[in-house]
Amino acid sequence: MKKSLFFSVCLAASISVAHAETVRIYAAASLTNAIIDLGKIYQKQYPNTNLVPVYGASSALAKQLEAGASSDIFFSADLDWMNYLIKKNLIHQNRVKPLLFNQLVVISPKNLNIPFKAQSGFNFAQSFKGHLCTGQMESVPAGKYAKQSLTKLNWLNSLNGRIVGTDDVRSALVFVERGECDVGIVYKTDALISQKVKIIGTLPADSHHPIIYPIALTKQGAKNADAIQFEKFIKTSPQAKSIFQTYGFRMSQS
Amino acid sequence: MLKCDFQYQHADFQLNIKLEMQQQLLGIVGASGSGKSTLLKNIVGLLKPQQGCIQLNEQVFIDTQQNIHMPMHQRKIALIFQNALLFPHMNVQQNLCYAEKLIAQPERKFPFEEVVELLELSPLIQRQPHQLSGGEAQRVSIGRALLSSPNLLLLDEPLTGLDTHLKQQILPFFKRMKDELDLPMIYVTHHPEELEYLEADTLKLSQGRLQGN
Amino acid sequence: MFSPEELSALYLSAKVALWATLICLPFAVALAWTLARHEFRLKFLVEACLQLPMVLPPVVLGYLLLVLFGNKGWIGQYLNAMGIELAFNWKGAVLASMIVAFPLMVQPIRLSFQLINRQLEHVAGSLGASPFRVFCSISLPLALPGMLIGSILCFSRSLGEFGATITFVGNIPDETRTIPIAIYSFLQQPDGEEFAIRLVILSLCLAFSALIANYFILQKYQRKLGA
Repeated sequence: MKKSLFFSVCLAASISVAHAETVRIYAAASLTNAIIDLGKIYQKQYPNTNLVPVYGASSALAKQLEAGASSDIFFSADLDWMNYLIKKNLIHQNRVKPLLFNQLVVISPKNLNIPFKAQSGFNFAQSFKGHLCTGQMESVPAGKYAKQSLTKLNWLNSLNGRIVGTDDVRSALVFVERGECDVGIVYKTDALISQKVKIIGTLPADSHHPIIYPIALTKQGAKNADAIQFEKFIKTSPQAKSIFQTYGFRMSQS
Repeated sequence: MLKCDFQYQHADFQLNIKLEMQQQLLGIVGASGSGKSTLLKNIVGLLKPQQGCIQLNEQVFIDTQQNIHMPMHQRKIALIFQNALLFPHMNVQQNLCYAEKLIAQPERKFPFEEVVELLELSPLIQRQPHQLSGGEAQRVSIGRALLSSPNLLLLDEPLTGLDTHLKQQILPFFKRMKDELDLPMIYVTHHPEELEYLEADTLKLSQGRLQGN
Repeated sequence: MFSPEELSALYLSAKVALWATLICLPFAVALAWTLARHEFRLKFLVEACLQLPMVLPPVVLGYLLLVLFGNKGWIGQYLNAMGIELAFNWKGAVLASMIVAFPLMVQPIRLSFQLINRQLEHVAGSLGASPFRVFCSISLPLALPGMLIGSILCFSRSLGEFGATITFVGNIPDETRTIPIAIYSFLQQPDGEEFAIRLVILSLCLAFSALIANYFILQKYQRKLGA
């Protein structure tokens, strides 16, 4: 009786393993909603695929991958962290495709009226009280872009001590939504999702490195047929393109 | 003069005390568990009788009918326990002076030097409590009690726990205190021979009541 | 020997831990005394609340702190009106450390009070000391070992506090970037590992020093009591 029970459990387990292919995608936090939506569509077509998304700051994700986390696809919010993993031999250079563009915007809680002009002559530091929230400026892509813009516009020094760096860009968004911070610098796509914040200005594209979202299969993913298929879906399918554009991303030309 | 007329009850045990103390030294004997400690604790104020009245001269410590209750620290009654209970974080001198510091100079009954002399405490003054023998510690605790300028001194089996040799050493001090100090004392023990040595009038505590000898 | 960022993290960690310990102490003594000496109907509830920070994930605590004491928080908005700001501020880091370390401080002090021979307090009372004086001159000094242990535990826990702090006050260099948060930040940076390792070693040294100091202080006190 015990033996046959044990046997049937093993059989059931092996059957379930054989049918569910797992695809692990490590995606930047700002891609959360888009990936959820296109994941749903993909699962309708391919119900046997087990999609496991992991969202976070590209810096944190890259570090996890470096430490050996199991992943098939890496979808980063900047080229730096993709190049980092190429250097660490986890991704092949020729597999990388820059897929999306984004813009950097300044937001504030909906009920506040804060003036903003994207010109270095404008005294940004005086225009709001309290703190400015964005990603960690040394590591999180949104923070890095923000630092570049603030430096170019000569505002960085005057904001010394007032910048709160969060773990990822969505946390910065939440702080501004809660009103804990009067202003924040996030991606346009993040600002558009939230009902509780408004965009008070866009940071000029030439004030920071181009915000490019590259996608690539990891070395592990390149051996996973389902991962290859899912990555292709993200890169080429009209449904995926439509979803990204709905959220405010621009598609890369190449 | 100490006057007691009270009832105290706890669990199955009941004390029914009527006492008018005329003597300077009163002895109370009783078997273990007869309530000797409980009696003293009621007088000093650690326990509260359900009903009754305790007063010393004109000072009423407790009167349940008139709702008078004087807290322990105001009664000026010193209680000597079986264990010396010296404060371990203070040396002998600090222990001795603990109570004295709380009393204004003119109200102090017994000068420090006299107490030290009476109990032969000079060589011990700077020592820490853990460096004293059982007998020495007990003498220090007596000195500490005297220096609190009490109007009444209660001794709860002060020699129990000391060997015969030490008992012989300390009993004479009690005799001296009886003879030289104008301080009423109640000495409780279950060794009647101690009270014989001190020539004390003795009452017996049995079944919760005091009986004359 | 140390870079400015490391010195800043070290100074900030020490400042936060010290303030947290100092402010916790009187409250811990009061609560420890109450729990050690009094029985009352809702005691079980007080005990449960006391243990709560120890079983809640630090991030949850941080979030609760944000809801209560953030600039728009239930209590925080009134504090803000009075000019007191806790979010994104080293003072908020002190509050976060206090919440997580408080139970660690209460327990040893409570035990110390429980271990005091009650008869010593009775004797002191019979010698004429009021209950308050008995507490100050007898109970408190005898509970000193517990207070020391509690303080060291509180200080060490504050030095290592991360989850609640980063959720409540964020990660701001020179303001809230304590040593654990600095380590975390360095680990997120492309080649930050060697800086992280230096800070890890620093943390270990600090924790060890605190524990060794604790050992010697206790020894000295116990020698005084003749134990």
